Amino acid sequence: MKRRDFVRTLVSFFVAGKAAISQQQRVSDPTLPPPAPVPWFTGLNSRTPVPATELADHVATTELTFFTPLQMRTLTRLSDVLLPPLNGKPGAVKAQTPKFLDFLIGSSAEPRKKIYSGGLDWIEESAQAKYKTAFAQLDDNQAGELIKPWLRTWMSDHEPTELHADFINIAHDDIRNATVNSKAWNDVPSVGAEPSTQTDVYWLPIEPDVYGQNPAYAHTPPHVLAAPKDGQKMPVYSR
Amino acid sequence: MNMTNEIHDVLIIGSGHAGGMAAKMLTEAGIRCLMLNAGPVADITRDAERLSASDLPYRGFRPPGHVDHIAQANEFNANVWVDEQEVPYTIETGQPYSWVRVRLFGGRSLFWSRQSFRLSDYEFKCKSHDGFGEDWPISHADLAPYYSRVERIFRVAGALDGPPQMPDGAFILDDDPWTPSMQRFINAATPRNIPVCKQRRALGVNGLASSVNLLLPDAEQTGNLTSIANAVVREITVDKNTGLPNGCNFVDRITRREMSVKARVVVLAAGTLESTRLLLNSGLANSSGVLGRYLTDQIYGAGVVASVPEARNRKGEKIMGGSAIVPRFRNIDTKSDKFLRGYAFNTTSMTGPLGARNFAAYGAELEKKLEEYYGSGFVMTIMGEVLGRYENHVRIDKDKVDAWDIPVLHIDTRYTDNEYNMAKDAVAVASELCETAGFEVLSKNEVPNPPGYSIHEIGTCRMGDDKKKSVLNKWNQSHDHKNLFVVDGASFTSGGWQNPTMTILSLSMRASEYLANEMNTGNL
Repeated sequence: MKRRDFVRTLVSFFVAGKAAISQQQRVSDPTLPPPAPVPWFTGLNSRTPVPATELADHVATTELTFFTPLQMRTLTRLSDVLLPPLNGKPGAVKAQTPKFLDFLIGSSAEPRKKIYSGGLDWIEESAQAKYKTAFAQLDDNQAGELIKPWLRTWMSDHEPTELHADFINIAHDDIRNATVNSKAWNDVPSVGAEPSTQTDVYWLPIEPDVYGQNPAYAHTPPHVLAAPKDGQKMPVYSR
Repeated sequence: MNMTNEIHDVLIIGSGHAGGMAAKMLTEAGIRCLMLNAGPVADITRDAERLSASDLPYRGFRPPGHVDHIAQANEFNANVWVDEQEVPYTIETGQPYSWVRVRLFGGRSLFWSRQSFRLSDYEFKCKSHDGFGEDWPISHADLAPYYSRVERIFRVAGALDGPPQMPDGAFILDDDPWTPSMQRFINAATPRNIPVCKQRRALGVNGLASSVNLLLPDAEQTGNLTSIANAVVREITVDKNTGLPNGCNFVDRITRREMSVKARVVVLAAGTLESTRLLLNSGLANSSGVLGRYLTDQIYGAGVVASVPEARNRKGEKIMGGSAIVPRFRNIDTKSDKFLRGYAFNTTSMTGPLGARNFAAYGAELEKKLEEYYGSGFVMTIMGEVLGRYENHVRIDKDKVDAWDIPVLHIDTRYTDNEYNMAKDAVAVASELCETAGFEVLSKNEVPNPPGYSIHEIGTCRMGDDKKKSVLNKWNQSHDHKNLFVVDGASFTSGGWQNPTMTILSLSMRASEYLANEMNTGNL
């Protein structure tokens, strides 16, 4: 919630409260209608229904912000090869993973951006050099010929650092995690060793947006919020 | 402006394990304490909810830009760590450092992994053993009674199976038998004189072994503790007449109101590097010139992931499970020509899935591997001692301030061949042990994570008998200012392979009892 919205809400809260109290004071006047049984705001309590909301990602669309159209076509094909639909589970493409990665990588630090941009350009050039066609048009075997030499095992947050192996393995890991943690994947029950969507305790921002309190710090971005406060409306209930 | 003019007995800065223990011991001795914590109180019933990653905008990934150097961060816990834009730090080019901080009340004690070890005299008297560094001014015998009391408070589970380099303690005894996979590993290690012991872990209460549930309630019950949240300490203040610390100036992190408090004694427990940053920003306790020096931690990240063949295809139910600690075995009775000191292995026989990173495959082939190898993983990772070196240090960066205009810390540290050679040796030994046990090694890594990653940073305010070479005496008391104590990991003279928490708690308990006695007898 922006500060001005917060103030507006606060003001309307007190105005409404004063009006309710004023009504109670006039109860002895027989010409006035009877007041509401209780001030309306006492209805905001632990039993108040909470509106159900959806993550915008589930229902809205967005424009590409980082990858070029060619890079996105390459990433989409790469995602489909590395994590295709299997055993009833959706693949990376149906999980909208390439579009999600455009958002994630586009807001990541420069080294991560370079790995993706450089990696996608490299694999496209490799496809053109070997097959004289775009990577997005390769069949699974052709794509595998370009991918498999660079697959590595790795552990403990130590991504491969070798050129090309870094991109292939990091992208594979990201594509896999983003897909497993998508709504499309979560909607289909996992069987056997198929990974399940991560469920955990999510910590909300624990203090107010400290930067919003002081214009001197307005240049510094606020904490990342799980859900935009602007999107949250004060519920209104019929009486 | 001090609105109450009240002079507290002791000002404690920080509320984690070190500050919580100081508060407990001092208040129980009848001393009135004021505790300041830089962040808010976390209430899990109010501040957290169980969610699926598919309902989060970053799908569980660490949100970019705010906690980029915290490998442990993800979207679920991103809000508990210190925001690196709010409280930045600077590093030397090419020398990364992961400074992992929590400013919630209780600090990092809310989230630690609870491994609970004592240091031995191989650490306390390290120089006497191998000639490098400095001996501590205390020995295991000095700290042993405090370790025992801490172990009882924190309900440490373990077995009395430690060799001299891993002293036993007052444990809730773990007498579970080893599983067959662990026994095979032990059979491989024993002929090589590599000890394999039961893990040692604080059970706490309901799995939480934090300051907020095991220490602060006792302090609050005495009626002698006053606590303030969101108090970001700017500097320790000094009495102009005596030159002694007499309180601090702080800024309220929400309102930005500048405040101050007074106290007869100041106890620093803000976490190793924050305590040292505060001393450096205050211009205190540095007649030796070693304040900020000898920063050390532990190397993490190197290790091996293996698979027990007989447990594959869902046949591991009676084979797998359990964990062990392999305490340091290098440079105890023999001497390596590759490195000083040594490392331990955390060893786990897994009953769940193996990560996809352990297979050079994708698509249907990868899914088949994951199904086949499910419940057969055997993981060994190291905790290795980092040598305390003068050149590994922190200082104030005069060109950068945090969100409250407090100068930030510049961290200038790096690992050397000693640590890199240690990690290589560990991976070679782990691979050999796994292969001897008949396990298949799937992946390995011999490159340590960046310094700081272990969240076991220690040193920079080290204790010693020689005030020209140390900041604190053997009671965690400043050589320069008798009413200033540093009771957290900054006080360590050197490190070890062990998780430092039990030692931090025991040092804080010991120092606080000493301080209480000094105050109650009129010496302070």
